[in-house]
Amino acid sequence: MHEYETVIGLEVHVELLTDTKLFCGCSTAFGAEPNTQVCPICLGLPGGTLPLLNKKAAEFTIKAALALNCEIAPKIAFDRKNYFYADLPKGFQISQYFYPMGRNGYIEFLVNGKTKRVGIHQLHLEEDTGKLSHIGDDIISSPSSRVDFNRAGVPLMEIVSEPDIRSAEEARLFLQKLRSIIRYLDISDCKMEEGSMRCDANISIRPVGSTEFGKKTELKNMNSFRSVYRGIEYEAERQRSVVLSGESVIPETRHWDEAKGVTRAMRSKLVSADYRCFPDPNIPPYPVTEEWIQEIKKTIPELPDERYKRLTEEHDLPSSTAEVLTSSKELADFYDAVLSVHNEPKTVSNWIVSEYLGLLNAAGMDITESKITPAGLGKLLQSIAKGEISGKIGKTVFEEMFNTGEDPALIIEKKGLKQISDTDTLSRIISAVLAANPQSIEDYRKGKKRAMGFLVGQIMKETKGQANPQLVNKLLMEELNK
Amino acid sequence: MDFYKHIVQKLAGEVNAKEVSPQQIGEDVARRCAAVHEKCNAFIKFDPELIEKGIKDISQKIAQNKKLPLAGVSFGLSDAICVGGTTTTCASRMLESYRPPFEASVVLKLKEWGAFPAGKTNMDEFNLGATGKNSFFGEIKNPWDTEYTAGSGAAAAVSSRAVNFALAPDGCGELRYSASYCGIPALKPTYGRVSRKGLVDVAPSLDQIGIMAPSVLDLAAILEAISGYDPEDPTSFAHEVPSYTLLLQEKENIGPFKVAVPENWAEAPYLEEGIKKAFLETLEYLKKENFQVQMVSLPNFSHSLVTAAIIRAVEAFSSLGNYDGVRFGLRVEGSHLQEMYRKSRTEGFGSNLKQFLTFGALISAGNYYGMVFQKAQKMRTLIIKELESCLQSFDLLFIPAVPFQAPLLSSNDKACLLPDPAGYYTAAANLAGLPAITIPVPAESVSGSAGVQFIGKAFDEAKLLQAGLLLEKENPPRFPNV
Repeated sequence: MHEYETVIGLEVHVELLTDTKLFCGCSTAFGAEPNTQVCPICLGLPGGTLPLLNKKAAEFTIKAALALNCEIAPKIAFDRKNYFYADLPKGFQISQYFYPMGRNGYIEFLVNGKTKRVGIHQLHLEEDTGKLSHIGDDIISSPSSRVDFNRAGVPLMEIVSEPDIRSAEEARLFLQKLRSIIRYLDISDCKMEEGSMRCDANISIRPVGSTEFGKKTELKNMNSFRSVYRGIEYEAERQRSVVLSGESVIPETRHWDEAKGVTRAMRSKLVSADYRCFPDPNIPPYPVTEEWIQEIKKTIPELPDERYKRLTEEHDLPSSTAEVLTSSKELADFYDAVLSVHNEPKTVSNWIVSEYLGLLNAAGMDITESKITPAGLGKLLQSIAKGEISGKIGKTVFEEMFNTGEDPALIIEKKGLKQISDTDTLSRIISAVLAANPQSIEDYRKGKKRAMGFLVGQIMKETKGQANPQLVNKLLMEELNK
Repeated sequence: MDFYKHIVQKLAGEVNAKEVSPQQIGEDVARRCAAVHEKCNAFIKFDPELIEKGIKDISQKIAQNKKLPLAGVSFGLSDAICVGGTTTTCASRMLESYRPPFEASVVLKLKEWGAFPAGKTNMDEFNLGATGKNSFFGEIKNPWDTEYTAGSGAAAAVSSRAVNFALAPDGCGELRYSASYCGIPALKPTYGRVSRKGLVDVAPSLDQIGIMAPSVLDLAAILEAISGYDPEDPTSFAHEVPSYTLLLQEKENIGPFKVAVPENWAEAPYLEEGIKKAFLETLEYLKKENFQVQMVSLPNFSHSLVTAAIIRAVEAFSSLGNYDGVRFGLRVEGSHLQEMYRKSRTEGFGSNLKQFLTFGALISAGNYYGMVFQKAQKMRTLIIKELESCLQSFDLLFIPAVPFQAPLLSSNDKACLLPDPAGYYTAAANLAGLPAITIPVPAESVSGSAGVQFIGKAFDEAKLLQAGLLLEKENPPRFPNV
């Protein structure tokens, strides 16, 4: 009996963060009243449909193609993909069929500590469709349907991977890395839940060692990273059992049912597979010059991979920490910003990864929603380094900062948390504690080292934890060894 | 008063000088339009309110002592070009109730210059031919003899002097050959010279708005008004617009030109003796005027009509994809979406149009895409190269405008053919985007004339007008009584 491996290729759609649509001046803002962000161009009204290219969208796409190591097409050219559907106002979608903006790129990410490279077959720019809502299950059985054209014409970038992905986990890691790169570029917010990032998967299985591809199914309707993982996992397993039972996989489009945790074959395709693509006669090709590419290159920030390299090599951070920090641009930017106040990579990264992320996770918050500023954390760490407060008190202060957004100095001041580093004061307290605990002194001198800990605890209790621990240790030791 | 006999410049001069009131003109135009509509069915519907509204606007401006280059000039507007305040139907039942919420750029320019639209002229449905028999709004009769077709309502209205000029689309020559059917000059400008914004898309790579007018001087004056770059039309060009009227006044500038004639020009199907004779006589006249006339070999010219028809059918099938009953136009309810599409398009489109769209759908699908559509695209490139290289050595190409005189409306021998065989000589200029002018010369025909045609270099409309003027001088404009 054969062992089977899963072969996956992903098609990812990403809505670009331009202010206006791809071919008209309508707003792309999410969540407006239905059909309020429309015009003759994006509604396909006769006589009013001449498309006016939003150059920003093209620039964003070139930026992404460069970041994904693609070859860039010599011109921006658009084609018509012809089909009929109620959410498609013109009866064709303007897309890039003959000249995708980028080709032959790749993405790299770590799988079990090893670098995995997945090819990018192509990356292209197209317009989004409107949004249908059906009364009932689907458009066929529905007595009526509503269409919102606010989304029609929003610039959409499609990234098509090579079938290089071998597991649901790899698919998830690929998507995470892709999302991270796109967010670094600041060209899309990539929110799967809001639909600004959508992913379809082509899945097949084949005997290990085979170089031919098996019959594939296309899996749709996965609306989160988790459902991409679960959907692929389920579908690959389903195909395995189909093949093992002696049948063959039917090439079809399948729908991921999140609630039931299964994939189902969709009703026969409503849409013809023959799109009759041809160059859109209303859009003259626009040359992509080397100068323009260089200009766009200059706007690309340090990407996750480069940043990871800097953090591990220059800042000497462990790879796991660097990976966490670079996974999101906001987090990595935050780290760098704290460093500019307190230049101690190890300390800063530890605080971010264990304390800050811990608090964020517990609160179910995103870093962008947090009240903590890099300057605030920097100042806090400075206070600890200067011995103004202990690390333990620092954590309390940080929690307070997290909750209120207040300045650390203010919190320390207000709550009287400043560390006691005054030798006279501490000596007085130590004497008092020793006087009250003669038994412990006895124990210590008999060799019970644990008594020392008890005495320190008592001193901290007296000072409400504000005593400088190093100083307490030193003074106490001197006193006991007298 | 005989305002209608004036060339537009003279008329505007009189209006600006307040020698003629806009009201007088309005009444005169309304009377003549009503008459030609009754006789020829030249308009989609005769709508005196449109005229009244236009006259009101102009009266206000004249009262403010504004000097407008086309003050009081009336025009017919093909019903494929959008104007406010009325419907734009493309002579189709599909768009019977469609009122565009915008105006064509050419209309805005003309209104700014003081001209006013007098009516939406009748046409073959979506301008696919000029048989005069394929309008949902009835047959279009020739003002010289109503047994014959006018080809288009625009030609009928202009030749009857109901309006000072008309604008109509030219996709394979409909503008030029219907003008020839009615014995008036017509000009199709270079592709991109005149904005297409507001012209209903049929075959965007071929379609261009052109002008029909009683005289070449009128053509020049109107071309001057409507030419130039339009930021709302991505295919329009920022090419300098000369003063065509001034160029025509400098008589020493006219000719003699070097003129090429395709040696196989007489091989056109259905070429009539009368047309042949008129063309040969004109050729002799040109020689007499010291034009250097030479026969040239243009082997692919004879393929231009079929080539254009294939490309047009594919583009039209795509461009008319927005007529689905969802957002505008005719909707015939069905039990589900597909049925609504089918019923709406079945009942909304006429049979010739449906045949043509089916043809377009067929030749762009599956293997036919390569066998037919791509072959036509290659042939188009060959034809363009052939014409361009010919026009490197010659100023103008000279050919008939149309192989036959206006067909009888009762005859079916040519009307059912796809494409309209009348486009034999005109389609090449659409394929190559070159400017072309047609001029009536004396002939034995229903209009007493036959059309001859010059094709020029891109953006060299001036030479076409100059050559046209020379022919016109020999044959002063005539017009039928209404």
